[in-house]
Amino acid sequence: MTRLIVIEFIKLRTIRSTWLLLGIQQAVVFASLSVLVVVGADLRAPTAVRQFLSQAGFMSSLFSLVLGILAVAGEYRHKTITDTYLATPRRARVVAAKLVALTLTGAAFGVASALTASSVTAAAMSTRGISPDLSSVETWRSTAGVVAGNALYAAIGVSVGALVRNPTGAITAALLWITLAEGVTAGLLRDLSQWLPNASLLALAYSPGRMTTNAQLLPQWAGAVVLAAYAVVLALLAAATSVRRDVT
Amino acid sequence: MIVSARALTKQFGRVRAVDDLTFELPAGRVTGFLGPNGAGKTTTLRMLLGLVEPTAGEALIGDRRYVDLPKPRRAVGAVLEATGYHPGRRGRDHLRILAGLAGASRDRVDHVFDQVGLLDVADRRVGGYSLGMRQRLGLAAALLGDPEVLILDEPANGLDPEGIAWLRSLLRSLAGEGRTILVSSHVLSEVAQTVDHVVIINRGQLRFAGPLRALERGAVTVRTPRPEQLRANLVSRGYEATTSDASTLVVHGATAAQVGHVAATERIELHALTDSGASLEEAFLSLTSPDDRSAPAAITAEGLRA
Repeated sequence: MTRLIVIEFIKLRTIRSTWLLLGIQQAVVFASLSVLVVVGADLRAPTAVRQFLSQAGFMSSLFSLVLGILAVAGEYRHKTITDTYLATPRRARVVAAKLVALTLTGAAFGVASALTASSVTAAAMSTRGISPDLSSVETWRSTAGVVAGNALYAAIGVSVGALVRNPTGAITAALLWITLAEGVTAGLLRDLSQWLPNASLLALAYSPGRMTTNAQLLPQWAGAVVLAAYAVVLALLAAATSVRRDVT
Repeated sequence: MIVSARALTKQFGRVRAVDDLTFELPAGRVTGFLGPNGAGKTTTLRMLLGLVEPTAGEALIGDRRYVDLPKPRRAVGAVLEATGYHPGRRGRDHLRILAGLAGASRDRVDHVFDQVGLLDVADRRVGGYSLGMRQRLGLAAALLGDPEVLILDEPANGLDPEGIAWLRSLLRSLAGEGRTILVSSHVLSEVAQTVDHVVIINRGQLRFAGPLRALERGAVTVRTPRPEQLRANLVSRGYEATTSDASTLVVHGATAAQVGHVAATERIELHALTDSGASLEEAFLSLTSPDDRSAPAAITAEGLRA
């Protein structure tokens, strides 16, 4: 199993899209926090660091989601999945190895994003003469949220990629959910909307904000648990279908 | 190691892509797996390799299903048409990943690159490879695990004549080492010089399995003033003969010597006696023609055991 996981890391390392995604992720974190500064976010507010980092956590997790999707759907697209399954005909092991490798890689993406985000935040604050308290408990909880959000979204991406198998379709479906479908669903579910994936991600990212439907965000730990539950359920579905489906 | 299909069947919705297919591939031989496009070749290969689940029957590598092989890549190397490459990955990285999965050493990567003549381009991105180079890369990947069984789906596609000659000698030498080799093709002439054994399928069903030689059915053309009399005598001896014009007879399943012997015994005058053995291609075409519903020609046990 360790060997399979190591090989998944090599697969990620030897294609450019991984590095490209990492780069774009940092650029987007940088840009989105810069916008916050420009539109006049209150840098003196006690929740300022938390707000900045949670924003980064939410934005950056989308890239880890795409990374996870591409790790599986990309293999179908480039037909490398044939060799992958020929070498490991017990396909559930492939899915498991990808889940582990991508969760860890997602966490690494999260660390990079947290570093970028705290640099931007610290720089913005210091230009206004505020000394940011980057070592407070709040900051660490926010940072943990960024890392965990990336890790779990990468894992969810693996399962989505395995279920949909077409990278364009999978990414489109995921983005449609995030930008549109979850909002509609939330409107219908009202009080239950806090349990939806993006709401859980916001909770995990330790966002100080509220949801649009006026439902409270879950506590951070609960967001983590709910998102992990989504990841586990999707992973089981992905493993079950990957084992059964013919590869043609 | 013997590869076998036993009553292998695959139903896709209402289409029976592979229908009750039974055959064995002898070790130490190159077997051609032939049939027109859509005959079910690729589906059969995918079932042999555990990529497609059979509806009924089983495909065995030695005495196990592919998915039950402890180290599948050490036992079986395969290049399928759908074998792919990430275009942005370097050839060497591609093979390193597969070597890791196959449990092959890093030295093996250089060795197979050399074996297929790609050592010079190993560090280039696969997206820049020509079709022929990609075929060679696929072959290199299949050879990584030094497998006893090699399964190649249309390996000659994209190879130039020089490449085909190279592939032929490579496969011959690999078979000479006792490996079991299966090469699929929809063109018999492409593999006729490479294979010693053939499995021919059409519309999912077995049409022929046996030595290539057995496929060549003798045909003899005879000119005689008494074609009807000769035909009757030949037919009564179990040969298949048809009159093609007033003085010409075509005899199947016989040699010129056998026909000449019958004529001499019956004291029938002959004006010409020509061995015009049906070519392999004709035999293949007649076995795989769309309207051919006759019983399989020669699914013989002697051919299978080799």
